[in-house]
Amino acid sequence: MSQSPTTPQARFPAIRLDQVGKRFGDHQVLEGIDLEVAHSEVVCLIGPSGSGKSTLLRCMAFLEHYDQGEIYIEGALIGWEIDDQGRRRRASNRRLRQSRSNLGMVFQQFNLWPHMTALGNVSEALKRVKGLSRLDAERRGRQALERVGLLDKADAHPARLSGGQQQRVAIARALAMEPKIMLFDEPTSALDPELVGEVLAVMKRLASEGMTMVVVTHEMGFAARMADTLVFLDHGRIIARGAPAQVFGEEAPPRVRQFLQDYLERNALLIDANTEAPGAMPSSISAGDGAAAATKGMF
Amino acid sequence: MFDWTSFVHSLPLLGQALLVTLKASLAGNLFGFLIAIPVTALRLSSRPLARTLGASYIFVFRGVPLLVQLLVIYYLLPTTGLPNLSPMTAAVLALSLCSGAYIAEILRGGFLAIPPGQIEAARLLGIGAATTLVRIELPQAVRLTLPSLVNELVLLIKASALISVVGLADLSRVAQNLAASDYLFFQHYLVLALAYCLINLPLTFSGRLLERHLARSQYRAAE
Repeated sequence: MSQSPTTPQARFPAIRLDQVGKRFGDHQVLEGIDLEVAHSEVVCLIGPSGSGKSTLLRCMAFLEHYDQGEIYIEGALIGWEIDDQGRRRRASNRRLRQSRSNLGMVFQQFNLWPHMTALGNVSEALKRVKGLSRLDAERRGRQALERVGLLDKADAHPARLSGGQQQRVAIARALAMEPKIMLFDEPTSALDPELVGEVLAVMKRLASEGMTMVVVTHEMGFAARMADTLVFLDHGRIIARGAPAQVFGEEAPPRVRQFLQDYLERNALLIDANTEAPGAMPSSISAGDGAAAATKGMF
Repeated sequence: MFDWTSFVHSLPLLGQALLVTLKASLAGNLFGFLIAIPVTALRLSSRPLARTLGASYIFVFRGVPLLVQLLVIYYLLPTTGLPNLSPMTAAVLALSLCSGAYIAEILRGGFLAIPPGQIEAARLLGIGAATTLVRIELPQAVRLTLPSLVNELVLLIKASALISVVGLADLSRVAQNLAASDYLFFQHYLVLALAYCLINLPLTFSGRLLERHLARSQYRAAE
């Protein structure tokens, strides 16, 4: 949304979801999800835990197999092939790899490979997938580490890094493959509060560089500031979407206002009301009367 | 009590026998490890047929005594028109197949301890299943199960005492022959027992060193 769709790749949206549904046994986790993500757009998926936002993100990478609807990544259906009769069949591994080559993913638990150094983690796929020589892979790996400010930690194993540093290495690992789209699955939820800022700072820079991003997050301040579009999920359905000022504004559905009020009350207990903390809401956004009362002075 | 002359005379023979024992059991362990990797992969596959195949392999080669496996491989295969195996080939084959089953069971635990998210990360980066197995899963599984793997090697060296049934002059067979020739049963079997101890001592010791080295190289399983 921050860039006009003039580039040739923008003939179709970066991601398009059409009536996506997913069930685990009897439990309908996702239902009737329609969503488009434009190139260079930052979309934040928010909502209570268990609302299906992580599952939705994982479906976009086909780490979960959605069983209704269609998900298109850069115009190509991911994970499935649908025949003339409308029956779906698993796409070949080659086609799935092709779709995924547009995606970079960052996980809540970092998922670095502990037996490799930071540089080893970042350059592994460059060697094994892109077929670069060790020298070239390490050169590009170092560039990726530099982008997240961790060039000096290239030779450290993950266990020797803080959580925030590990997550930044994980971001570098995904970036090194030059994906068009970055998916973030609660990237700061496993971090100590004082380490959240450094990861969010890296993500902010990525967004400002025009990266297309889908972020599942509990950091409402980040979501409000950084998102072009907020998508609020509840019980597997999208119940609100739009610009942050709209979703968090006076018109918000009661469920969203309740969620936001709870969030702000929880955070108001933690932070000094007079200083603007990294998780705090920007002052341009109001959260309804109740929430405003609970967080008087925060904005 | 102890006949030193007999002992000194037996040394060259024992030396050669030691080489036979080491060759068979080390080769058996190496090939067993190589067999164990695909067997573990089958065992942990999401496809039921592959799982059954892996489980059947382990069931057969862990369920049948090594002695019987040796005899079957050495005596039965040639009767089916297959080429004759040299005693050493038959011994290495039997030891590999058998230890492959045990090592597969050991590695399985190591593979299961790797957080699935690490594999998902590899998939997202486009790294294929085989490369993920060799580069990401196997090194961690080996580190996690190293004590059991060293233990399996020690067990295999001791189990290799059975290979004399196919006519190989390993440590145990040579000791028996020596005892039969001069009737110094106690002495020769005592030397035999000490020989096995001396082989296994440095193994246990270097296994522990390796473990400590890996622990110090900044690797923690909990991550």
